[in-house]
Amino acid sequence: MNGDFLALLAKQSLGPVPALIPSSYEPLQATTVFAFHCAEGVIIAGDHRATSGNVIFSDQTEKILELDAHSLLAIAGVPAVAFEMARTLQTSFEFYRRSQLQSMSLAAKLRALSKLLRDNVPATIQGIGLVAPLFAGVEMNDPQGKPMIFFYDPLGAQFEAAKYAGSGSGSGSIKSVLHFLDTWGNPKPREMNLSDAIVLANRLLMTAAEFDSATGGVAPDRDKFATIRFLSRNGIEDISGPRQKALWQKEVSNE
Amino acid sequence: MNEDPYRWLEAIQNRREYIRDQLKGGSPVFAVSRPEGILLMGVGIGRSKVFEIYDSQGMAALGHPVDIEKIRQSVIEAAHVEGFTRSHHDVTLRRLISFALSPMLKNSFEQIFSPPLIVESIFAEVGTDEQSDKLVRVNYDGNFFFENRKVLCAYGNYDKEKEAENYLRDILQPTTTIEETATHCLTAISKIIANDSTKPVEVSAYGHPALENRRLECALLDRKRPGRVKYVELDLGKNA
Repeated sequence: MNGDFLALLAKQSLGPVPALIPSSYEPLQATTVFAFHCAEGVIIAGDHRATSGNVIFSDQTEKILELDAHSLLAIAGVPAVAFEMARTLQTSFEFYRRSQLQSMSLAAKLRALSKLLRDNVPATIQGIGLVAPLFAGVEMNDPQGKPMIFFYDPLGAQFEAAKYAGSGSGSGSIKSVLHFLDTWGNPKPREMNLSDAIVLANRLLMTAAEFDSATGGVAPDRDKFATIRFLSRNGIEDISGPRQKALWQKEVSNE
Repeated sequence: MNEDPYRWLEAIQNRREYIRDQLKGGSPVFAVSRPEGILLMGVGIGRSKVFEIYDSQGMAALGHPVDIEKIRQSVIEAAHVEGFTRSHHDVTLRRLISFALSPMLKNSFEQIFSPPLIVESIFAEVGTDEQSDKLVRVNYDGNFFFENRKVLCAYGNYDKEKEAENYLRDILQPTTTIEETATHCLTAISKIIANDSTKPVEVSAYGHPALENRRLECALLDRKRPGRVKYVELDLGKNA
């Protein structure tokens, strides 16, 4: 009994089976997600759009997924693969915690995601299963542990982001603005309180949508805001649409 | 021996006596359905009696630690495979007990040339209200029954179990808090199981006879807890 849920699935022949896809297939893509440190923790956010080529497949996609009480996954890439990765990780983390009577370490969670990405390399190389996720988590076994952001390349390499990270087609614009603000901003994103960070996240998505058609923007006049989660040692907080609207009206519209 | 039914029956009877003898000296565990959720309680050495199984399911058991661990792992595995391949809504106590745990216990009990599993256990599943809570008593031989009178005790001595359950049903009121419920369970251990006439005392009181240098293990399947995971460990007492 080593708490390895993937080994348990393999034992029961329930592992994912790679499908044969015709070469002309144009996979669904989900963009854009990003994360940055603010004064109180980590903000992780994304738009709601999934595209297939130049077709908008959905504008209601949930890309920020809660893996456990202190881990978040932001998905960019092919949703079919990314959602399955998230579901596998969710079950793996809970299975380990319940069977071993202790939480999995942050390092082990990061490696678990890395392994799923490596296992997905054949689909990535075929161009039908590319996933480049962001991961945010806290090492709760360390009393001093703080929220951390990690980003991955599609082959499974993992990197820590000291200030911010982004993934998906609209992330270039977002990372440029975050770099600018972190270098010359006052306050810098990492110095912002939660309210200011929430408003910034929406402004970043509006900026990305201006230059990338695959990024679904934010439309405050239509009550359309980003998906935002806030991670701290106290756990995960879902920043609801109405809360984002109230902050937007207060900070931007001056209503 | 299987070809000789009388010897087989004798072997089974010997096995029952052996298991009951091994269970003597164990301390009882309780599951009590309350308006807040289901309280699971036992007295052990810390994470040795009361466990989380899945989002809404928990268990409490007494017996040999290795055997408790074996059935715990087995049910956790079955629950997670079911939750992963179907949905967390499809993980139910009725199916886990009927199709995963009970056959395993029965097989183990009746395989007379291998050692039996020495475990008496209670499983609980919290619902939206007390009426939809599920409490299941599972015996070492795989036999099980669902209890709908909101209190279950596992001890191995069935008369004492019924006595403790009736004591708790009489004393628990709708306004009784979770901490008071745990206190009443401890009192039931002292008064009924250990034949000790000690008056009820607070759970956190140092030196409660029922604790016997061990610690209180409590968990609540909290029906009001937001999110999927309802199991919360409670720190109601301290080391005696």
